Amino acid sequence: MTTNPGRPRHYELTRRIIFVLVALAVILPYFSGRQQPFTPSPEVRKVFEKVDGLSPGDHLFIPIDYDPSSEAELYPMCLSLLRHCFKKGVIPIVMTLWPTSVGIAKQGCDEAAADANSMFGKKVVSGKDYVFLGFRPGVQNLILKMGDNLKGAFDKDYYNQPTQGMKALAGVNSLKDIKLLVDLAAMGTVEWWIAYGTDRAGIPMATGTTAVMAPDLYPFYQSNQLIGFLGGLRGAADYEKLLKIPGRGERGMLAQSATHVLIILLILGANIRIFAGRLLRKKEGLS
Amino acid sequence: MSDYPQADDIQAGATKRRKAIEMGALALLVVAFMIVSLIRQNPFAKGADPAKAIGVIVAAGLTLIMYSFLYRDNPLFKIGENLYVGVSLGYTAVITWRDFLRPLVYQPLFEAPTAAALRNSLLHLTVPVILGIVLLARISRKHGWVSRYSYALMIGWGAGVAIPLFTNSYILQQLTAAVKPLQEAAGAQAVAAPPAFSQAWLFGVAGPIFGALVAMIGTVAVLFYFFFSVEHKRFGSAVSKLGIWFLMVSFGASFGFTVMGRLSLLIGRVNFLLHDWLNIPVK
Repeated sequence: MTTNPGRPRHYELTRRIIFVLVALAVILPYFSGRQQPFTPSPEVRKVFEKVDGLSPGDHLFIPIDYDPSSEAELYPMCLSLLRHCFKKGVIPIVMTLWPTSVGIAKQGCDEAAADANSMFGKKVVSGKDYVFLGFRPGVQNLILKMGDNLKGAFDKDYYNQPTQGMKALAGVNSLKDIKLLVDLAAMGTVEWWIAYGTDRAGIPMATGTTAVMAPDLYPFYQSNQLIGFLGGLRGAADYEKLLKIPGRGERGMLAQSATHVLIILLILGANIRIFAGRLLRKKEGLS
Repeated sequence: MSDYPQADDIQAGATKRRKAIEMGALALLVVAFMIVSLIRQNPFAKGADPAKAIGVIVAAGLTLIMYSFLYRDNPLFKIGENLYVGVSLGYTAVITWRDFLRPLVYQPLFEAPTAAALRNSLLHLTVPVILGIVLLARISRKHGWVSRYSYALMIGWGAGVAIPLFTNSYILQQLTAAVKPLQEAAGAQAVAAPPAFSQAWLFGVAGPIFGALVAMIGTVAVLFYFFFSVEHKRFGSAVSKLGIWFLMVSFGASFGFTVMGRLSLLIGRVNFLLHDWLNIPVK
């Protein structure tokens, strides 16, 4: 039952002290009542401005390619994007490439649609103001199919309503009729959407991903294959700030900063200890 | 034989005592969790939504169970781990049946409203369904070879579609982007060159040129580091070392983002425990 039976006792103790410190650094900021000041990054600003520049009735395609294990980072992005669409009268088309994402995608649609009434005084209806297409298997095949015939790939939406003649999909025959695609992904789907979807259809694309995936997106951002991206909880917080609707992203920024400071201090402390130990041993060896 | 207890017996006794203490502490924690849950999320309270309250309690319990691994691997953690795998698999199976197999395969073939619809379904579905079923032959050693026809089709089709699309998106467009910034920066300078060393010049001309040069030097240096046909000596060695530095900076950025991502997950769970489970109004 022991985790690391071969390791010395002080190692286990240090490990647990670090866990406690990290836990305190995350929990205490929630009770401080302060907000972390920050400026939205240009990558997020570009996505926001693009969505903000869409006209009422335009279509924004949002694939939800994450499952509940990445909910902390990507769900706030999903809510902000949907709220932005409902605020502007843009019609979001939501779908997923993964079966495990269906529940969380539906939850996001339901929550944002319910909030639209209290936030913007709008009654948002499925099939008219937004559409949730649900899941179909095939991943790359499905993206290719949607590039040619979206309603052929999804003949019915999640609620079993036929997509042919659906008000929310009026004027949308394929991905080419979409104004912007924002893939919210925790898996390697961004590259697939770029190669099989947006590059082929010639439509702009942005993405919201976990922080772990964010560094890999810069080459696509530099080449304009992505107009911008939201990276991790910070990306979600940036979007919430620009939208002026605070949420979990902004709320978590102080805790994020506190833990980052703690980790930097721990890395510095550990390095100082190692180098000091080496110096000391060297000195003892010489004397 | 000595009457004094042996070292092994002493250690076994200590382990037994520690386990008893741990089990006692665990029992106390479970009781404390239930009491706190019933106070903050009472599913039997008037006006409460029992399904939501029970859902929050289960989610909070599983969160704490998963974090118990930080102290030590334990049976509750194992239960949580296996539950996660089982639930994911079960959920995937149900969604696949509900959203895909039933409406797109079963109903068109077995619940076709007319003979014409059935003929149409047979025409479109027979080959894909046979190829799909044939994949299951992998479980048999004797008949496993049959599945190779499906795999051959998948691989052949996949490669045929992927190669041109990926060559365009991953190589051609990336190569263009690697050269373009220099062209754009030079173009910006030629079209509207602000006075040298002014703020507009620094941010509008010098900055992009410097950034483009760093990106170009980095690309060349890293590519050279992975170029093994020439021995890395003298100038080559310097370029190769520069490539390593660029790679190290890139790994550092990736590590930083990874730390940020992992902490975000912890922040998400803490937010859930404080806000949703304990009903504490977090700012």
